[in-house]
Amino acid sequence: MEKENLVEELKALIVKNLKLEDVLPGDIDPAAPLFGSGLGLDSIDALELVVGLEKTYGIRIPDEDVGKEAFASVNALTDYILRNKK
Amino acid sequence: MSGCVAIVTGGTKGIGKAISRSFIKKGIKVFMVFSSDEKAAESAMTELNSIDNIADVIKADVSDRNQVNAVIESVVNKTGRLDILVNNAGIIRDGLLMLMPDINWHRVMDVNLNGVYYCSKAVLRPMIGNRWGRIINIISPSALLGRAGQTNYSASKGGVLSFTRSLAREVARFGITVNAVSPGVIETELTGYMDEKVRGEFLSMIPVGRFGTPEEVSNAVSFLASEEAGYITGEYISVDGGLT
Repeated sequence: MEKENLVEELKALIVKNLKLEDVLPGDIDPAAPLFGSGLGLDSIDALELVVGLEKTYGIRIPDEDVGKEAFASVNALTDYILRNKK
Repeated sequence: MSGCVAIVTGGTKGIGKAISRSFIKKGIKVFMVFSSDEKAAESAMTELNSIDNIADVIKADVSDRNQVNAVIESVVNKTGRLDILVNNAGIIRDGLLMLMPDINWHRVMDVNLNGVYYCSKAVLRPMIGNRWGRIINIISPSALLGRAGQTNYSASKGGVLSFTRSLAREVARFGITVNAVSPGVIETELTGYMDEKVRGEFLSMIPVGRFGTPEEVSNAVSFLASEEAGYITGEYISVDGGLT
């Protein structure tokens, strides 16, 4: 249940944080890649998302290797946060 | 700009102190980072706090990542923000390349180039979080022209200029600008040690016909740090009397 809630929360956070005007949280496929294809986000967008996620969940995404793992998809991001949040 | 928070590395002496002073006069809270000269730090504190009681000093070596991260963290914890970073700390270890001790190459790179890397990297999270920031790097005519005896210094400063241009492009969309200021020969402690012959040689290369003042450098830094300069990024301003 916690995981499902977090998935929805993250979809909303991504849309709000990145000011995605043509995307609704419900449009985001939680299994699809966040960057590169799908939403069409670029790696610079990811910087702001990193800062927002670190602030909101008290996690740390220290470098791009961790970032790649965490941003693989909304599902992956959810798992990463559940494992690492304070 | 009142209420903003700035970090000025090498901020207690010479050009750095003039930059700190210009910020204080605008009501910007300044944390001056110094590496070793406690006496200069103390006198800068006394002088600047007499203008407005918003100056602070922190001792740290910018070439040490852990110390840099601790400085940025403590400033953000104390003030809740970080608006301006001036990467001014720098050292010179001049010498001809063929005879240069390796340590003089590496130390100059560690402070002048790696220091800019550590400090800039550490301020990005708070700046991106606030969607506003100013990073200003102090470079040198050596970065632009080259100068015999300064392969290490000019490589480090040229590196900082290129770094400035690339970082500017990474963070522009977050309201963060990254620029450089290149001071020519400025009247500081260092020029005081020059003998008349060397002074004359330098003066003959400067079209304006005199050395600059630290305030003339801080005027340019202060402008780049202002709201008005928000559309200038990835650029440098020479404050060198026409030298370059």
